[in-house]
Amino acid sequence: MNEPADTPNLAEQLQKLVLAIQASGRALFPSSNDELLQTIVEAAARIFGAAAASIALVDDRAGELVFRVAYGAGSETVVGMRIPLDQGIAGYVANTGQPIAIANVQNDPRFARDTAQRTGYVPRSILAMPLITNDRVIGVIEVLDKITSPSFGMQDMELLGLFARQAAIAIHQSQNLDALDDAFIQRLHALVSPEAGVDIQRAMRRDDASRRNEVLQLAALFQSISALGEAERRACLKILEAFGEYARR
Amino acid sequence: MSELRPAWSNQFTADVLRALRAFGPLASITREWAWGGATGKGVRVAVIDSGVEFDHPWLDDCVKGGVIVESDGRRKEGVKISDDPQPRDLFGHGTACAGIIHKLAPDAEIYSVRVLGRDLTGRALQFAGGLRWAIQNGMHVMNLSLSTSKQEYYALFHEIADEAYFKNILLVSAVNNIPAPSYPSLYASVISVAAHEGHDPFTYYYNPEPPVEFGAPGIDVEVAWANSSMTTSTGNSFAAPHITGIATLIRSKHPELTPFQIKTVLYACASNVTHQTNGN
Repeated sequence: MNEPADTPNLAEQLQKLVLAIQASGRALFPSSNDELLQTIVEAAARIFGAAAASIALVDDRAGELVFRVAYGAGSETVVGMRIPLDQGIAGYVANTGQPIAIANVQNDPRFARDTAQRTGYVPRSILAMPLITNDRVIGVIEVLDKITSPSFGMQDMELLGLFARQAAIAIHQSQNLDALDDAFIQRLHALVSPEAGVDIQRAMRRDDASRRNEVLQLAALFQSISALGEAERRACLKILEAFGEYARR
Repeated sequence: MSELRPAWSNQFTADVLRALRAFGPLASITREWAWGGATGKGVRVAVIDSGVEFDHPWLDDCVKGGVIVESDGRRKEGVKISDDPQPRDLFGHGTACAGIIHKLAPDAEIYSVRVLGRDLTGRALQFAGGLRWAIQNGMHVMNLSLSTSKQEYYALFHEIADEAYFKNILLVSAVNNIPAPSYPSLYASVISVAAHEGHDPFTYYYNPEPPVEFGAPGIDVEVAWANSSMTTSTGNSFAAPHITGIATLIRSKHPELTPFQIKTVLYACASNVTHQTNGN
């Protein structure tokens, strides 16, 4: 494969790629696990015979819970909805890290009014469980209205605990990959920034244009190593840093 | 399946509940001696939670005051404590706990110590601040529905639990519903409680294999909730206030008893403990 004469050097191309990724906010790695989370809430709702289920994530800075995925009654309006951490059953669970089951919640007039205004749907019973990784509550999974019973019991609570664990792992991995994305882009950016005066082509000592794919291969390698664990991820970052040092020579 | 059950509650299911015996002098401790005729009068109980709705119709003016503990990084202890003479409840949970305690110990004075809010990162320090306030302000019994599983707070909460113990203040704590270590409920000086399946408020069990020592009603419990409402709730955090209520009765009748002595009395009077009066 011959390189067209007007192709800018690889460093410029990478520079553009990095800027485009940053500008679009799009992840370099497959960091979105929404599909998996969606499967989890759907499976939870079906197994419990619940009318609806949802997962909300903690936004520490805003002091809010953000509904990420939902299934069943009211789900269309729920996704993307934000509620303050000092309100509602989900807020309590996020605050305490304790699961809780509540029935006949419509007896609380403010709850009924507020919830109906937000979602158009007022549940009779709620089971809410924290999503915990590394001793930290990162979100809440809720199932609403058990169809076969007026309330959720202890067995439901333990079963939902299993779903919560899966969801927490999925979210944790997703957040790790987001962090990895940021770290990788930062380093890539440093590597190819014009201020640094680096010509990555020269750095890689390649003149074959097909070799530019190696950077993308590096990204793929980076990702697969990071999937092995935190220590491997750190080791991978160190290697990349060393490579950056080498490239600047 | 047992490993999938939440935090220790399986120890109080009918099929595994242990039948225990009280021997010697312990066998002479009866419920009548322990709390017969007691109403909780003279005992101050701190509900460390989401606040207590002071004018909830189920509470009959038993709420005598309270504080709000908020995160404040500028202060040495990391929290700001402000008076809350007419407390409200952010969620309803603290009111639920207060309602259970009041039902069992109607003359006890209840104080709302609100330690929850929007700031999750400062939560453990708020919780610690609430406990310290209760220790320094003449509370006799504390009901904790909260815990932390963060190892970094192990020493802090241990120190607070010991301070409470040496000042003769009883800590009653719900154990976490999910299988993880939780402080301060794991400490020996604390009375840890999980839910059992029964509904009679005075039916409670002792577990001879701690860390969780007591089982009390916590499944489908009718409780007071925010905005003068009520609801039906399930969780270990509704079991703890049942034991708090009974301990408050014991404390009001026998103010000289220390936390470990109250724990012993609770053991002797537990529903799965029979008294061996012959021989030993």
